[in-house]
Amino acid sequence: MRDLSLGSLGSRLRETALYRSIVRHGIADTNRNRSLIIFENLFLHVHPVKVRKKTLRFSHTYWLGGITLACALVLNATGILLMFYYHPSVPQAYRDMKELAFVVENGMFLRNLHRWAAHLMVFAAFLHMLRVFYHRAYRPPRQFNWVVGVVLLLATLLLSYTGYLLPWDQLAFWGVSVGTNMAKEAPLIGEQVRFLLLGGHAVSENALLRFYVLHCVVLPVALLLLLSVHIWRVRKDGGVQGPPEEPEIPERGEVP
Amino acid sequence: MNNLPPIHVVESADPLATPRRVALVRPDIRPAVRRREERWVMTFPHLIVREVILLQVVVIGLALAAIFFDAPLQGIANPLETPNPAKAPWYFLGLQELLHYFPPVVAGVLMPALVVIALVVIPYARVNLTAGPLWASHPGRTAAVVGAVTFFLAALFAAFACWPIVVPTVLVAAAIFAARGGESGGRLRRVLAGVTLPEWIMTWFVVVATILTVIGTFFRGPGWSLVWPWNAAVFG
Amino acid sequence: MPEDPEDLTGIEEDGPSRRDFFSRVGLAACAVAAAGSGIVTLDFLKPKVLFEPPTRFRAGSPLDYPEGVVRFNKEQRAYVIGAPGGVYALSAVCTHLGCITRFLSDEKCIACPCHGSRFDLEGNVIHGPAPRPLQWLEMQVDATGTLLVDTSVTIPHGRIFKA
Repeated sequence: MRDLSLGSLGSRLRETALYRSIVRHGIADTNRNRSLIIFENLFLHVHPVKVRKKTLRFSHTYWLGGITLACALVLNATGILLMFYYHPSVPQAYRDMKELAFVVENGMFLRNLHRWAAHLMVFAAFLHMLRVFYHRAYRPPRQFNWVVGVVLLLATLLLSYTGYLLPWDQLAFWGVSVGTNMAKEAPLIGEQVRFLLLGGHAVSENALLRFYVLHCVVLPVALLLLLSVHIWRVRKDGGVQGPPEEPEIPERGEVP
Repeated sequence: MNNLPPIHVVESADPLATPRRVALVRPDIRPAVRRREERWVMTFPHLIVREVILLQVVVIGLALAAIFFDAPLQGIANPLETPNPAKAPWYFLGLQELLHYFPPVVAGVLMPALVVIALVVIPYARVNLTAGPLWASHPGRTAAVVGAVTFFLAALFAAFACWPIVVPTVLVAAAIFAARGGESGGRLRRVLAGVTLPEWIMTWFVVVATILTVIGTFFRGPGWSLVWPWNAAVFG
Repeated sequence: MPEDPEDLTGIEEDGPSRRDFFSRVGLAACAVAAAGSGIVTLDFLKPKVLFEPPTRFRAGSPLDYPEGVVRFNKEQRAYVIGAPGGVYALSAVCTHLGCITRFLSDEKCIACPCHGSRFDLEGNVIHGPAPRPLQWLEMQVDATGTLLVDTSVTIPHGRIFKA
């Protein structure tokens, strides 16, 4: 007699040939299956199969790296959605901002989400850096990962800065004008760098297009690559390191 | 090798514990050995579920902010009309405040470059790897050096009338001196006494950066003049 | 000279082996290709034609500028100022960070809204974070006697155009 209850629907589905061609492990009822879930998944297998229990505590790292990454994911998703309504040209860009605010369904919500996620990401990245510093988690073998982290912080700031110009309002235009004028002050290469960044002598439609390409393509790809290296190195260095522990020297006669 | 203590063998019934390693420690050699074996758990579900929860909390928090607070949008960009004041995004406002005191080459290029270089060098500088609590060794010499450096920095920045840097420098120096001799005090004093030199330097940097950013955000109005926060143009 | 372990002929050679030579040539070719790609890409990114407005503009007749008169051309970001015996033009772009200054007629000075820099009517810095004086701009007359100012050409400080 076939069991037709709803509870058995899941297990019957999991026995079908179609399902088993996609998912090669059973449900997470044995340690072997729990390992396979991580190990056989392309996206999850940056994790080790087992982790140290103490690294799971909130007070270990305050999950700041995770918060930064969560913000990056939100920014990616909302950014792509916003791209469907945005033309990087003058003055259409500004009109598109108005359209997002008043015409597009949930346009203002998505724009707000994008903006606040951006601010939170910069803030969380700073706090994450401070947490790693005060826990001395940059010591060998983690030195190069710290450097990768600093470059990630710079990439985050650049992403925020290039995105700042895109609304093409007074705040955006003059905020970026002041910043690029500062770049001009760098000796020897300052003028050249500014000319390349802006595609001209002043902030104009060329600058908007260049900042758009940087913001939507170049910097996100760079961030993705650097993040991959960063997370991979955390894994290879033995996992996240929280508060430093003093090595304990056993007393004579004691078995550790 | 005859007078070794007896070895105790304990079998674990816990399927999640990893096999123990047994180390034979000779009495005349004392390596640092971890007292406890680390406890390991399966990534799925323990870590994965925490990651999912964190993502949900962050998204919900941001969504609430997005519902109640709108991103700003001023008039369309006008290259001929400079708003007064023209402020950079908040994470650059500390830098813009610094621009008030120093020429653009220094405040806009030199100082940020020095900060980035200092950050990158941190894990490769010996002092960061070996430093103990600041007052643990040579307290007399430490006091002299800290006093001299504080005086030098305060004088240098006072020469440029850069009070947002002078005041935190003096305050952090005061905290450093207050930490001296705190090993036998209350919990806070013991924590302060254990702070190493690199940590004091980073603390100084964070305090200065925060104060500069706060002034630039909340206390600067038209013409970059000092105003009360309710008069300053604070933009998201 | 130790025998090259890769050398199977048993003949001792001076200098690098054929394999070493070709390795080096190959690596050099890769380096040249990489450098070339970089240079070509950088050159691609530099715009050669800019659609920016022309920098020369007409500023009226020299008779329109008796001493003390200051006219501000907003689109061209320049002041045209009358002086004893002539006329001169100042850039209105603040030398600090590029904001556009304003002329305060009651205080007879030029002020920048961004960080509070102030300049006198000759462009010298009176006060504020601006590092350099305002630039003096080239001035000429065309065939009809109209003043022509070129905002992309700077002239030495203090050179008044005598009409």
